[in-house]
Formats: sequence, structure tokens, C-alpha cells
Amino acid sequence: MAHTRRKVVGAVALLSSAMLLAACAGPAATSTSKLTDGKVVIGVLNDQSGVYKDLSGPNSVIAVQMAVDDYKAKYGDKAVATNIQIVKADTQNKPDVGNVKAEAMYDRQQADVILDVPASSVALAVAKVAAAKKKLYMNVTAATTDLSGPTCNKYTFHWAYDTQMLAKGANGVVAAGGKTWAIVYPDYAFGQNMSKSFTAAVEAAGGKVVASIPTPFPNDNFATFITKAQASNPDVIGIMAAGGDLINFVKQYNTSGAKAQLAVGLMFITDIHSLGVDQFTGTTFTDAWYWNYDKKNRDWADRFLTLTDTRPSFAHAANYSAATQYLEAVQRAGTDNADAVVKELEGKKLEDLFLRGGEVRADHSVIHDSYTAQVKTAAQVTEDWDFEKIIATNPAKDAFGPVNPECKL
Amino acid sequence: MTNPTLPTAVPSDLSLDPVAARGRLVRRLVLLGIGVLAALVLPLVIYPPVASDILAWALFALSVDLLLGFTGLLSFGHAAFWGGSAYVTGIIAIRLGVPFPVAILGGMIFAMAIAVPIGYLSVRRSGIYFAMVTLAFAQMIYFVANQWLDVTGGENGLQGVPVSFFGISAVETDSFTFYYAALVLIVIGMVAGWRIVHSPFGRVLTAIRDNSARARALGYDVERYKLIAFVLSAGLAGLAGGVFTISHGFVSLQEVDWPTSGKVVLMTVIGGIGTLWGGAIGAAVIVLLEDQLSSSGFEGTGIITGAIFIIVVLLFRRGIWGTAQNGFDRIRRALAVRAQRKRNGDSAVATRIDDGS
Repeated sequence: MAHTRRKVVGAVALLSSAMLLAACAGPAATSTSKLTDGKVVIGVLNDQSGVYKDLSGPNSVIAVQMAVDDYKAKYGDKAVATNIQIVKADTQNKPDVGNVKAEAMYDRQQADVILDVPASSVALAVAKVAAAKKKLYMNVTAATTDLSGPTCNKYTFHWAYDTQMLAKGANGVVAAGGKTWAIVYPDYAFGQNMSKSFTAAVEAAGGKVVASIPTPFPNDNFATFITKAQASNPDVIGIMAAGGDLINFVKQYNTSGAKAQLAVGLMFITDIHSLGVDQFTGTTFTDAWYWNYDKKNRDWADRFLTLTDTRPSFAHAANYSAATQYLEAVQRAGTDNADAVVKELEGKKLEDLFLRGGEVRADHSVIHDSYTAQVKTAAQVTEDWDFEKIIATNPAKDAFGPVNPECKL
Repeated sequence: MTNPTLPTAVPSDLSLDPVAARGRLVRRLVLLGIGVLAALVLPLVIYPPVASDILAWALFALSVDLLLGFTGLLSFGHAAFWGGSAYVTGIIAIRLGVPFPVAILGGMIFAMAIAVPIGYLSVRRSGIYFAMVTLAFAQMIYFVANQWLDVTGGENGLQGVPVSFFGISAVETDSFTFYYAALVLIVIGMVAGWRIVHSPFGRVLTAIRDNSARARALGYDVERYKLIAFVLSAGLAGLAGGVFTISHGFVSLQEVDWPTSGKVVLMTVIGGIGTLWGGAIGAAVIVLLEDQLSSSGFEGTGIITGAIFIIVVLLFRRGIWGTAQNGFDRIRRALAVRAQRKRNGDSAVATRIDDGS
């Protein structure tokens, strides 16, 4: 009852405002009047101080600024978004902080879109906020497939990668001869998810998982698990840990004298940089984007380098891409009204620096080509950050899992 | 357990001097008025969801103070009750869709229920051992929450906890109105805490804190009293955790993780141990700091809160509230002494009043 009344009131308000607009929209109308509040505000909500700071963090704000600059340069006077602001906040990777910050961004800072948001628990909480506030949310750094599954909603887009994409990279490893796998995973939601996805991907590619070994999380001593994994004599040992646990595992793995090839579930180029290529030599993993892949990437990475003194991770490029595509959608829609912008994104094929063969799927997962990468040996590295050899490019349609049936939009 | 650093605020209340008693009553009413006013205008001044956070943490800190300040037990596992209740509240709200006070009541009962075995096994220890045992139990709850994916969602947390409030959509959708609904629950919890401390039962707790051997000699069953205090404290922590869950609309693993236990002890210490209301000040300081720092672009939230903790511990041993109380008492005494001197013209009287108060 209350619902229908609200709808009626809404319709009346819409009609009358449309009439008002029609009355005002003489030749004097400027493009600014198309923006809901006279400006477009892009919120970057991520980890500015903790474990995810390097792989995304403050430099993602710079990447978004680059997208804004490029948009302005491209459209000049014709730009719909004439006044673009970027606001940022630190979630400290705490869901409650992230949740309040997201609400505050939408409500108080008039953010039209929120970008980034690492850590699955925080990312899912923000998706709920976006749905409630009816504002856009383009998640870049969270891996959970739930974003385009049970918690999917009209305003949430999952931009860069997910656990299934990471697992699909195993195809390339199996094809290169890594037939038998032992998977070591931390025993919590992320690890279990990854283990399941990798097992499916390895088997689909014709390989075989001979051992599946859970470890406590967090954990310092992996010696017993490494021994266990070796006992089954696999071609590849897949490690699904992330962050500090991954670094511990890799160090211990290297001193254990194990001969199997190491495949890492989730790795950012910043991880290789902090631990050194020596520790990772020969390791394979799935990358969503690599800065030295082609000239286009490299040119952008050079610009990024002059601004930040570091090379971009895929998260930086993906934030650039999300901001760019958001602004392009605003440009096409001629307004920053969230529903109109969503309509301009849904089902679209997108191409940019980050999205190669990109497409916005029905479940709002944004798929694109992914890369099976191998860490170079120290001798092969010609310059700092030149750590990866791309051994296979996985076309977008094979790079991600199927459309999530749990998502009902 | 004797602890010389703990303040003895309660015994001074036993003074029967009618003049002092009236002064105390006036002072209490004034403070109460300020407190109520502050609670009412809070969401006008700061962002309503942050204000609701302060409420929840304030009651949580009060529940810890009930044990730490009035019973002499430092629990380092209170996240188990806050978070345990958070999960149960969330599950009840999601699965049954009942009005949120009912869901919170369910969470609170769960918190008290798990507090019985945990308390039974841990109150036999005191000091650092008690802290460690409670921490161990809280970690057990953490691992259950982490592993039981179907129920708790593990690392991803429990998402989409609805706010259902008898169909009143203002409370259900607007965080500003929700604050006042939550305030009612929190005030009920705080009044309960105040009643506990100022009841004969509370006096026994204080006696146990100050000298448990003597309390035992007087015939009190020390363990039983401690256990009851522990369970009551868990209930208040559960109430706070439930409100927090409804306010945010989700439960994360963080609620049962040990840093949460640490954070609430930090709030209690900053506000003032054994002051009951100090926790609210501590909660406000920490929550506002976290909120401000995360938008400021400054990268070291931990450095600031750590520094404040060190300053408080070094300079204000009784916390913000306790120090303010001390300062207030000192001024009052100085005024009384001056008034007395004026009346008598005799400086020797001052000493007597000083001792008597």
C-alpha cells in the first residue's frame, strides 16, 4: 500500500519536474543542468594504510585522476561531466568502517559512484549500501564471486577479476604440461572457494588434482603441508594463500628443495616486487592485466610511473578503466542519473586499456581477456618491475566462469 | 583480588553526610541531564550511523567495565559475546524477519548462555590467567564462526541483515530515526548496568574486587558472584553487539576476532576504569577518531589511537572520565574549604573536612 503510494508520488514528482525542465530548457540550457547535483563525484574507497595499500591504495586514486584527466581532454567542451570531483576514504579493511564510509560517501559527499573496495567482507557490505542508496558501485579489488552472485544488484558491477577467473588461468599451466596438481589452501571462505574453483578448472583442462591440503589460517609454519603436498609427487603445487601467508609459504617452499612447479592462486605484481623475483622464479599465476604486455599498456604505465614512482598493478589499471567507463557511460547517457548510467553499461561491449574484449555480463560481472603469467628468472629481468612472461592469453569468454545463476536482477 | 591502581569510587558513596549527599544528587542530576542531552543531539552533530556505532560501543565498554572496574576481572574475550550475539541476532533477523528488538533479545540470550560455561571455567582464575582463558574461549568462538560457512558466511560475513521494526518505515530505512530506536535499547542496557553496580549485589562485587579473601571470609560465595557478574556483563555486551549488527546490516568475522576484545578494553581504559560512564567517552573518542582518520588521508590510524592510549595510561591513570571526576572533586573541596575558612576564620578546620569527604 505504502509502496504504491510512494510510486504514485514519485511518478507525479517525475512528471512535474519533467514539465518544469521542459519549461526551462530553452536555448540557454547548459550541459551542467543534466547533472543531478551539478557535479560528478567519484569515490575511491579502499585500503589506504594496511595490507592492500600497495596493490591498490592511494595510487588507485591517482589512476582515477588520470581517467578524469583523459576524459576531460577527450571531450573538452562537449563533456557532460563538467565538474568532476574525486573523494577517497580508508576502510582499514574493516567491514563496519567500510559500510559507514560508503554510506557517508553517497549521502554526505554526493558520490555518484564508488570504486575499488578490497577485502570480500567489506566489498559485500558496500554492495548492500549501493543497492539501498541506488547509486553505482564498481568493485575492483575483491575476489569473491558472490558480488555477481547472491549479493548482486542493479547498481553493483564487478570489474576486474574473481576467484573463477584466477582458477581458469590453470588451463594454461595444464596445457604446458602441469598435469597433476596438489592444492594447498588456507581453510577459510576465500581459500575453500579458490580450492574448489582450481580443482574444477584443472580437471576441466584435463589435469588431475592428486591432493587437496587445508592449512590453518593465518599460519606461519608450512613445513608439514609442503611435505604432505610433495608426498603425492605432483607436477604442480598450487598455493591459494594470500598476503603474508603467501610470502611465508613461498619462502619455506624455496628452502624445502621441492621440485614441483609452484602455481599461485592470487598474486599481484607488488608481491613479486616486495619479495624479489628470485623467490618466485618459474611460478605461474593468472594476471588480469600486465603493464608491459603491449605498447598501449606500457605508455600508460610510463605516465603512471612519472606520477607515482612505481609501476601499476592490475588493480590500478582496473580502477582507471572503471572510472573511464563510468564517465563514458555518463557521456552517452547525457546525465549522471544512476539508472540511466546503469542502462548505458548493461550488456555493453567495452574496450579500453584494461578491458580487452570486455563485456558487461547479465550478472554485472565485467569479463575480459586474462593472462597466464610466469615469473621471469633474475637474468631475464631487463628493468625493475619487468617480472612477468605472459605464457597464454585467455580470451574473455573462456577467462571467466559461467554467468552466475544465483544472481537475480 | 587487590589492585592498588583501581579507584575506590563506590565506597565514597557510602558516606552518610546529608549535605554531601544532596550535593552529590544535584551533581548527578546535572551530569545525567548533560548525558541525556548529548545522547539526543548526537546524530544531529555527527553522521547518524557513526552515532549508532558510538551507542553500541558505549554499552559494550560499560559491560567490560562492569567486570574490570567493579569486579576486578579483565576479560580479554568479550568479543565472543558481542560477536556471538551479533551472529545470532543477524541469523534470527534474516531467517525469521522478526522486529529487531526481538532478534537482539535472542542474541543477548545466546551471549548469556555461552557465558555460563565460559564463565564457570574462567572465574576460578584471576588476573592474567583469567584474561588468557577468556581470550582462548573467544578464539574458539572465532574459529567456529570462521568455519561454519553455511551459517555464518565465514570470511565473507553474514550479509543483508534486515531492519524490521513493526512496519515503521522511518526506523527501518532512515539511519537518523533508527538511532533513537537503538538509543532506547542502549539506555535500557545502561540503566541495567547502573542498577547492578548500585545494588547490594554490586557492593559485594566491589568487596570481592578489593579483597576477595575477606569477602569469602564474610561468607560470600566469591565464584558464584563472579560468575553472575560475568554472565550479566555478557548479556550487556550481547545487547550492544545486536544493536551494532542491526545498525550495519551485516555481521563480519571481525566482530568475534580478538582485536575487538582489545578495542573495547582500550575504550574502557581511555574512558576510565570503574567509572561506568567513562566507557561511553572512550567509545566516542575511539569511534570518532577512526571515522575522522579514515577520511583524512592520514595513513596511521593505529599510531594515533596507540599514542592516545599511552598518554592516557601515563598521565591520566583514571581515564578521561575519572580524571575529570577527580578535578571536579578537587575544585569542590577547595571551594568548601574556602567557604568554611571564611565562616570560622580558622584554618585548622580545613583538615577535618578534607578527611571527612
